Formats: sequence, C-alpha cells, structure tokens
Amino acid sequence: MTPLNEAVIRVDGVSRWFGNVVAVSEVSFDIMPGITGLLGPNGAGKTTLLRMMTGLAATSRGSVTVFGEPVRDNPSLYRRIGVMSEHETVYEFMKGRDFVRMMGRLKGVSDLESAVDRAIALVDLADAQDRPMETYSRGMRQRMRLAATLVHDPEILILDEPLNGADPRQRVHFKRLLQELASGGRTIVLSSHILEEVEQLADTVLLIVNGKLAAAGGFRAIRAALNKRPYHVRVLCDSPRRLAAAVLGLESVDAVHVDPDGALVVLSRNVLDLQIELPKLAQLSEIRLRRIEPLDDSLESVFGYLVEQ
Amino acid sequence: MGPVYRLTLSQLAGRWRLSIMTVLAALPVILAVVLLHSETAPPVLEFEQSILGHMLAGSIAPLIVLAIAAAAFGNEVDDRTLANLTLTPIPRWKIALPKLLATITIAVPFIAVSAFFTSYVAFVGDIRTTLAVTVSAIVGVVLYSSAFVWLGLVSTHAIGVGLLYIVLWEGFFAEFVGGIRLLSIRHYAIGLMHGIDPRRFDDLPHLTLTPAIVMTVLVAGGFLFMSIRRLRRMDVP
Repeated sequence: MTPLNEAVIRVDGVSRWFGNVVAVSEVSFDIMPGITGLLGPNGAGKTTLLRMMTGLAATSRGSVTVFGEPVRDNPSLYRRIGVMSEHETVYEFMKGRDFVRMMGRLKGVSDLESAVDRAIALVDLADAQDRPMETYSRGMRQRMRLAATLVHDPEILILDEPLNGADPRQRVHFKRLLQELASGGRTIVLSSHILEEVEQLADTVLLIVNGKLAAAGGFRAIRAALNKRPYHVRVLCDSPRRLAAAVLGLESVDAVHVDPDGALVVLSRNVLDLQIELPKLAQLSEIRLRRIEPLDDSLESVFGYLVEQ
Repeated sequence: MGPVYRLTLSQLAGRWRLSIMTVLAALPVILAVVLLHSETAPPVLEFEQSILGHMLAGSIAPLIVLAIAAAAFGNEVDDRTLANLTLTPIPRWKIALPKLLATITIAVPFIAVSAFFTSYVAFVGDIRTTLAVTVSAIVGVVLYSSAFVWLGLVSTHAIGVGLLYIVLWEGFFAEFVGGIRLLSIRHYAIGLMHGIDPRRFDDLPHLTLTPAIVMTVLVAGGFLFMSIRRLRRMDVP
C-alpha cells in the first residue's frame, strides 16, 4: 500500500472539451490514501473526470498520473486499480460467479477460485452467485459488479455513483465495506451527487461544479461554507408590502423584495429563527400567511453558491 | 485470450442472428440446385460469375460476416460493457485478436458449408473446384471479419456503413473500375479460387495468385493492427 502522505493519483491542470462544450476545466488535485468523495450535481463533470482518472478517456489538456505513471494507455496499471463505472449493464446471459471469475482471470489473479469466493462473500451474494445475472435486481447487479471490481484486491478503487439502485440495507453494508477497505490503507475515490452519502463516507471531498473544482478539503470545512449561505424563502400572504416592511426589523433577515406576482421573497442566513419569528410577526401585524416555502433547497443551488464564493 | 474469445462467442451466438445466417447461407445452395435442375440451366461461365462471384463472394459472405463482426465490438460499445475488458491489465491485442477469432469461428461454418455445397452441386462433385471455392470463401471470411470488426470499433453505424461498402465498393466500383480490384476483398477471393483451380473462373476479371495472397495478408493484418490501435486510443464509453 502507498504511504499515507504520498499522492496516489495526481490530476494536473486537466481539461476536457467536446467540440465547443467544456466538460472539465483546469482541474488539479492530489488524491491520498483513504476515501475521497467526488461531489457535484448531475452534469457537473464528475463522470468525465473519473473517466480521465481511469484512463478510459483522454484529456484535452493536462495529465493524470497514478502511482507516478500516466494512466492512459498503460494497461499494466489496472493490476492495481479497480474501477466500477456508473453504467449498470452486465452480461445478462452470464452467471454472477462466472462473471467475477472471468474478470479475475482477465486481471491475472493467481489463486482464482478463492479470490472469487472472497470477492463474492464481501458483497454478500454467495446465495445468488450461480444464477444468471438477468435474474438479478438492480442492487444485486451493482454488488456483483463490485465483486468483479474487488476480485484482484486492488490498491485503488474508483467507483462512479456506486450506491445507485442500492436499498437501505445494502447501503449500510456497502458503507461498512468501504470503510473496512480504506482502513487497510487503500485509496478509494467515489462520486456522488448526494451530499449525505459523501458526508458519511469520505474523509476528503472534492466539490465539482460546472466542470471546475469548486472546493476541496474535509467535509466540515465545506459544511461550514454551506452554512454561511443565505437562503431564499418565498412567502405568500394577503399584504406582502406591509409584511416586507415588518420583517426587515428581524435579525434573521438580510434582505427582502416583492416579486411581480405579489410574493414576498426573504433572504436569510438563519432560517431556523426565521421560521419561528415570521408567523409571530404576521400575527402581530394582523397579516394572514398562506404559504412559506424555501426556493433553493436543491443541491444545484448549494453548489452554485459555493462556486460564486 | 481465452476469456475474451469465449465471452465474444457467447455474445455473438444469439438465436436470431444464427437463424438469419442460416437462411442467408442456404440461399446459394438452393439456387444452385434449382438452376441445375431447370431446363434453362446457365452455362458454367455465367454460374461462376453470378452465383459464386457476385452472390456468394460479393453479397452473402460479406453480409453474414458484417452481421457478426460489426457486433463483436459494436454491441459492447453500445451497451458500455467494453470498459470491462479495457480496464484490465491485458495488452490491447489480446482483446482485438480473440474478438476477431471468435467472429471468424462463428462465420466460417456458415460460409464454408454454403460454398462447399454450392460448388459441389454446381460442378457435379469436382473436388478441386469445390476445394478452391471453399478455401477462398474461408479466406474471404477472414478478410471481411478483420475489416468489419474494425468498423464496429470506429463507427456507431457499422451496419449501415458496411452495407454501403458492400454495395458500392465491392459491388459497383470494383466491378467496373479495374484498378480498384487491387482493393477489393471479393477479387482477392476470386483470385485465390482461380489460383487453386486454374481451370475455373478464368473468364472472370481477377487478380493473379501472388497479388491476391499478398493483399490478403496485408489487408487482414492491416485491419487487425488498426483495431488494436483504435482500442488504445479511443475514449471507451
């Protein structure tokens, strides 16, 4: 295994464009042993970046090295890397065990049958290993693909949206498995668009938005940045202008404006206080509230805020 | 190489594909039997030209091989399972070569049996001619396979492009433009047929044996090399 203070994967000034569309732009980072989460909304460029990190796609500019060697057109490196792509297609006609065995053979595993046993046991699919994969559920296919990724006991695991299709029980099992693998000194990179998934698993987070590295570091630092972000809250009431004047006096409110459709929009960095104070204020001012809703709870808006910073 | 070869055999041996191949391969045999027993049976020259030169070497063989070879990589590119093979530490030639061999393994029985019985029936059991037709048909399979396996890697419309190639290049240009025969798989096959059995196919426009053999080796090796190169350089989906 690699020493903990040494970069295992180095992404240096990497860009990738498709015609006029820039998918990844000038991204640089080092990945150390442990679990690194690649976080970003759908379409942010995570998969393109992972594909360049695994050598499946070429960079338009910049370089990716793994263990100090270029990853592109360097098949021997795959003895040390296990990759599970986001595509869930499997060889449907093949039995699960046959698939893992074939992948083990292709990866040059010496003690093949015991390696296959171990990999299938790790994903808890021994009971289903002799069934054709066309009979598997989506979650089972993902787990058998993970077994095939683990069969050669790789030092680096690169997993693109690995929890897609997994039920809650499988998620718990999967998280425990990754933590066990990481504690053995492996380097694990996983991508996700779900904040909580990465929060529970990753030691380090790389936040990708619009093809750029928006933030990198421990999850707490990124959470702290998120908490500083003002939220937009939309309030429907029978007297928006009077309520606007009233809420400006609240400490939890940064700014207000009234939309052309008559809705009051409140900007607040302290939504918890706002949701207590606003109904009280409306009652005092004899204003009838009809609806209160957050405008920007989506991940995209959260990521967008971080990029603006 | 074994796992990739066996995987490709399983992928290509679909029931529908094999059924269509069987029907296509039976066509020249049926036609030969019907023609032989009709009152207006064509002369040998016409039979060589239309059934063997055009139908078998220029249409049936390339169509059967196209349907199999284009899928050898094409299906894996489409369903995105090609990464399973390219993300392994095996050299790219150990992926391209077994794919080609599996394609040939599936296509050869259809074409060879079809060529054997068509010529055996038509030339009334003349073994030398039957052997010439069968051997050159097998060589044709190898050549078309190497070309169409590569095509399946470079184009997502391999079947369409392959059909255009068969109709326009092999069927039209190579027929009427003499120089293009040097770049026509059908004419390599005809050249080999004539080389093995000089009594036959003499009146068909053909290459002599030596250029036919040299071009066969160059074309088969060239397309295999280009497939390996493509595998190394392409963005694998």
